[in-house]
Amino acid sequence: MNVVGYVSLAIVFVAAALTVWRAVLPVSVADRSVAIDALTAMISGGLLIGAALRADALLVDLALVFGLVGFLATVTVARFIERRGS
Amino acid sequence: MSTAVDVATSALMLVGALLSLIAAIGLHRLGDVLSRMHAATKPATLGIVCCAGAATLQLADLSDVTKLAVAVVLQLVTAPVGAHMLARAVRGRPTLAADE
Repeated sequence: MNVVGYVSLAIVFVAAALTVWRAVLPVSVADRSVAIDALTAMISGGLLIGAALRADALLVDLALVFGLVGFLATVTVARFIERRGS
Repeated sequence: MSTAVDVATSALMLVGALLSLIAAIGLHRLGDVLSRMHAATKPATLGIVCCAGAATLQLADLSDVTKLAVAVVLQLVTAPVGAHMLARAVRGRPTLAADE
């Protein structure tokens, strides 16, 4: 289980790096928001994988907080786009 | 018994990680904002559920499992709301929906 867990963490890391790259590329605000939303979900998933790997309950709290922060970020940017146009 | 739990945990962790990778590839390859949103919501729902299932199998304490359930329910409720607000903001705006 340890080996599979670390391989999974490596896969999540690669996915997060690709997503950060997507957010940094010159794209529209909505694209960046979608990428950052996916990024918070990936970080949350990685934290939960870490919680399973080390049987550590602290990481579950962190995943919970990350999920809420990602939601707030998406909603804030969506409101901003709706008002300002771009 | 313990081996079976470990195998199930490994499978769930791997599925969650692969969903993240699929979403990252989809963010780069798909054509417009709404298609990319479709790819990006995979790890936000199914990926989180798989990873939380893996953590549930390894954490025996009931309070930890309750926290995991709360995390999953919050994610399942908030992900569609956020995606809906973003899609509504983008809809009908060709400058935002176009690629680059």
